[in-house]
Amino acid sequence: MTLLKQRDEAAFNYLYDHYSGSVYSIILNIVPDRELANDLLQEVFVKIWRQIETYDSSKGRLFTWMLNIARNASIDAIRSKSFQHSRQNRELTENVYDAGGSTETNTDKIGLRKTVHKLKEEYRVLVELSYFQGFTQDEISKMLKIPLGTVKTRLRTALIQLKQVIKP
Amino acid sequence: MDIQAYIQSGIIESYILGLTTAEEAAEVEALKLQYPEVNDAIHEFSLLLEEHALKNSINPPPNMKERIMAAIREEDLVKPPVLKKRDNEDYFAITQNSIRPWRMAAAAAVILLIVSAALNFYLYRQYNNKNEAYQALLSERNTLQANNQVYQTHLREWENAAAMMADPGMATVKMNGIPGKESNMATIFWDTRNKDVYVMPNKLQAPSAGKQYQLWAIVDGKPVDAGTLSPDCTGVCKMKNIPKAEAFAITLENAGGSTTPTLATMLVHGAV
Repeated sequence: MTLLKQRDEAAFNYLYDHYSGSVYSIILNIVPDRELANDLLQEVFVKIWRQIETYDSSKGRLFTWMLNIARNASIDAIRSKSFQHSRQNRELTENVYDAGGSTETNTDKIGLRKTVHKLKEEYRVLVELSYFQGFTQDEISKMLKIPLGTVKTRLRTALIQLKQVIKP
Repeated sequence: MDIQAYIQSGIIESYILGLTTAEEAAEVEALKLQYPEVNDAIHEFSLLLEEHALKNSINPPPNMKERIMAAIREEDLVKPPVLKKRDNEDYFAITQNSIRPWRMAAAAAVILLIVSAALNFYLYRQYNNKNEAYQALLSERNTLQANNQVYQTHLREWENAAAMMADPGMATVKMNGIPGKESNMATIFWDTRNKDVYVMPNKLQAPSAGKQYQLWAIVDGKPVDAGTLSPDCTGVCKMKNIPKAEAFAITLENAGGSTTPTLATMLVHGAV
């Protein structure tokens, strides 16, 4: 950790080798486009490198910190205008051309999102919308026409269940 | 406070996944310091999440590592050290898009290059246009100057003619076209003091090749050669000195002149 904070390149090498797969997995859970995911992976690791001094180990695990950086960057990316735009274009042409799936990842079939699919539908939807799509609980309450309090308690129950599922 | 109920409410998981509000997060952080159970619960779920993520990791393309290391080295060259953040709010801070300085620089360089190329092209075209305009002006000026010289010559000739006409010592003999050649006309200026003869071909067609006009003075009924007219004589031209004559006439002769006039080619005639 000290080596990381001193920006030791070998320490960063280790960090990348150890965590890039997990970080890439969470990015691909949110961003289906491989090219964009690669750009985001770079953005996330550059950001980790740049902000490593602000990481406080008494607050939580390093991986948790990195995971949140990756999730936030990915949600920012899919919510950006350019992404929404290309998404629309893609939907328009989807019927004409077969995408072939070469650069598209099925975000539901990997990583944490795959595990979330094991939850009951009413729980799955809440985790999907809040964690993988970044909607606030207020927004979800309006979208699904469920009271905000219900959204909050149901989401927490969903996360407790998720914890049970990922427990070895 | 029933801390076990709190822990089992799912707030810890929400907090770790970044799904709590700022107040809820502050509450968890405060309780964490107060209750070791909260701290343990945070640790437990974080560890589970990390293990799950490591198990489900997907390796990025192999070239990514080199790309990222390069980006980081680049970053370190141009970025000053990051200042320590003041508070904890950045723990789950929304990330901002990082604009890589070298990309900005490259983009700026490309834009500058394009602008410069366009400007060069524009200026080159301007230069060509101006150059053509300058050449056109130059040739126009030369034409005007040549014309001006022609006019000056004509003017000098007419000035000479006018001076002779105004001279009281100068006798004028008008030679009209003879019957059948009425379109021709010429004038003789004859200085009564020194007997010099000048001719002005007012209306004489340019002679055909190998031919030349010749002036004759009729002295005692006989034609005397008074000289040939130079082909470039357009104004007043000096001829031979004729001391005495009753009349003058012009004939068209072979180039170089003749000793006797060819009467058939006589064009104009005028008596003194």
